[in-house]
Amino acid sequence: MDFDLTPDQSALQSAIDQLLARHKDYPTNEAVHYFPGDAVERDLEAGGYYDIAREEGMGASEAALLIGAVAQLPWCAEVAGTALVAAKLLPAPVPRPVVLARGKADGPLRFLTKNATVLVDCGDEVRVIDASKHQVEPLKTFFAYPFGAFVEPPDLSKAPVVPGVTGAALRQWWQLGLVAEIEANARVAVDMSVEYLKNRRQFNRPIGSFQALQHRVSECVVLIDGMRALLRRAAWSGDPADAALAATHAQEPLTRIIYDTQQFHGAMGITLEHPLHLWTYRLRVLQGELGGVTAQAMDAASLIWGD
Amino acid sequence: MEFAWAPEHEEFRRKIKAAIDRLLPSDWAEKSQYDTSSEYVSKFSRTFCPALAKEGLLIPHWPKELGGGGLDPYHHWVLGEEMIKVGEPRSYQYMNVNWAGPAIIRFGTDEQKQQHISKIVAGTHIWCQGFSEPSAGSDLAAIRTTAERTPNGYVINGSKIWTSGASLADFCFMLARTGTERYGGISVFLVPMKTPGIDVRIIPCLVGERSVHEVFFTNVEVPESARLGDENDGWKVVRAVMHNERVGMPRYALSMRVLDHAVGLLKKKNRFKDAAVRSYAAKTKAALEAARNLMLNIIDDRMKGKAPTATTSVARYALVTGDRWLLGFLNDFMYEEVMSGKDPLINVGYKRTGSTGIGAGSAEIQLNLIARDMLRLPRE
Repeated sequence: MDFDLTPDQSALQSAIDQLLARHKDYPTNEAVHYFPGDAVERDLEAGGYYDIAREEGMGASEAALLIGAVAQLPWCAEVAGTALVAAKLLPAPVPRPVVLARGKADGPLRFLTKNATVLVDCGDEVRVIDASKHQVEPLKTFFAYPFGAFVEPPDLSKAPVVPGVTGAALRQWWQLGLVAEIEANARVAVDMSVEYLKNRRQFNRPIGSFQALQHRVSECVVLIDGMRALLRRAAWSGDPADAALAATHAQEPLTRIIYDTQQFHGAMGITLEHPLHLWTYRLRVLQGELGGVTAQAMDAASLIWGD
Repeated sequence: MEFAWAPEHEEFRRKIKAAIDRLLPSDWAEKSQYDTSSEYVSKFSRTFCPALAKEGLLIPHWPKELGGGGLDPYHHWVLGEEMIKVGEPRSYQYMNVNWAGPAIIRFGTDEQKQQHISKIVAGTHIWCQGFSEPSAGSDLAAIRTTAERTPNGYVINGSKIWTSGASLADFCFMLARTGTERYGGISVFLVPMKTPGIDVRIIPCLVGERSVHEVFFTNVEVPESARLGDENDGWKVVRAVMHNERVGMPRYALSMRVLDHAVGLLKKKNRFKDAAVRSYAAKTKAALEAARNLMLNIIDDRMKGKAPTATTSVARYALVTGDRWLLGFLNDFMYEEVMSGKDPLINVGYKRTGSTGIGAGSAEIQLNLIARDMLRLPRE
């Protein structure tokens, strides 16, 4: 047993950090719902990072590192669908962004644009929709991801089936990608809160000296460290039960983490002026995606204990 | 990253399980009720531990030159997991081999080692920990029990509380005040529980039959040779011991067993089809699994000789969280079993999870340590 990154993974992490270093800054004078991460995506494509899980000796663990690093950026880029889910399920790369959908794919879909490839969990099978053959409209939401929707619900019976791939397999990697995104976004929100708690003064003292807040933020850290522990195990094992458990543990505490980090900031982060919302308004999306915590827990229960 | 157990650890687990199967009586569940603190388990430990010793399973993690197996911290952890899963048949002797013995080896005189270590490695004696007092719980340095110098040694006066297994123990590993300085006025004493002037009272408690006691010391005379380490240098010993306590026991191993057992019972009652039950079970499992991985990560750090950090407190608090989930699950879906008290596993699960985070260093102290040492938040 060894909980540390392998030397190769550490080297990869450094390379990713180096690549993304120039994307840490963002326009602080703009109150926007999110910053589109086109430049980040171009860098990832140019560096071949979207194919990381397809490389010899690499896989879900390495993709999870990439997803987490990108999710910590203020810029909003699609990674999990392409670098993890599609890489695990499809034999060759497809046009990106890769969008993940369930059922009829007829609702708001994260990252859906006219060029997207949509992978749909249809239960026993997975179908692929080429969005360029459909009319797609962008949706305006208050959340920190781009959303789109099909103008007419696509006829899934005409969409090609991915041979030999079940909806359960799609859900497993989707869950894992979600955990990587949640863990990273939550960590930024908490790190930002810790800095704020150190600097913000009320009653002639830093508010971070109040034990009530110390305990709450420490509990957030425990929850997020737990997410990372389960993420790494699930990425390593490739076991669907591990992925479902990790996703359960990641989605479950988000109401609290989102509330707490915004509360620590004294309501900033509910509004758009402070950057905290870039991460917390992503977490609000991730909290409910793929059916929300109850769906992940039900998956986990079936995989662990059967019916 | 590698999350599979190494073959030697798996083999060691098999060996422990086989020993447990062989050494525990067939009516163990019924007799022991998986209650570490019961009179039955305590008595049983005095034959079980010598049997473990014969198989090299009592102190496998101690250095070879001290009679141990020289095995790594993962072996030690695996031993703890398997023992707690069956209600810790070593009773409080687990404390002997986990920290009391190692502390005596590290800080004791040759005479003390000769007197105590041979008994610990024989598996025949039980120790209790005389740390907490009515006025000194989380703030342990506030102890008031005194050990005053006499021509022959010391005379101890004061009281201890929450002492686990005190009425079963042969020796007490205790703290007493030998000076006025908060930290620099504390010494450690190794005191036979039969010494005149020691009065032990059991505190009735849901957690276990003899899990908590009051211990009163009235003019208890001990020789100078009962002091462990230098006079007024006891805090150094405390720090070494408390680090071990903070990691604590792998309670999740028992909690996971209880959860699986509860699910089995619910299936038999045809209640596991209920989405609310299934969802709660999975959330509980996830929280326990998070705790397990965080704790194993601490052991991995030990393996690599890394200095302890506040990640220990993170793991410990994750365990508190996991056990709270289990307690809630048992409350919600195992009401009849909990109330009837007839199912030993449900019983022990309910009782033990009710005290996780209360005993052995309060959960709130762990949060303080995370805030201070990891997040570097300012002090109050």
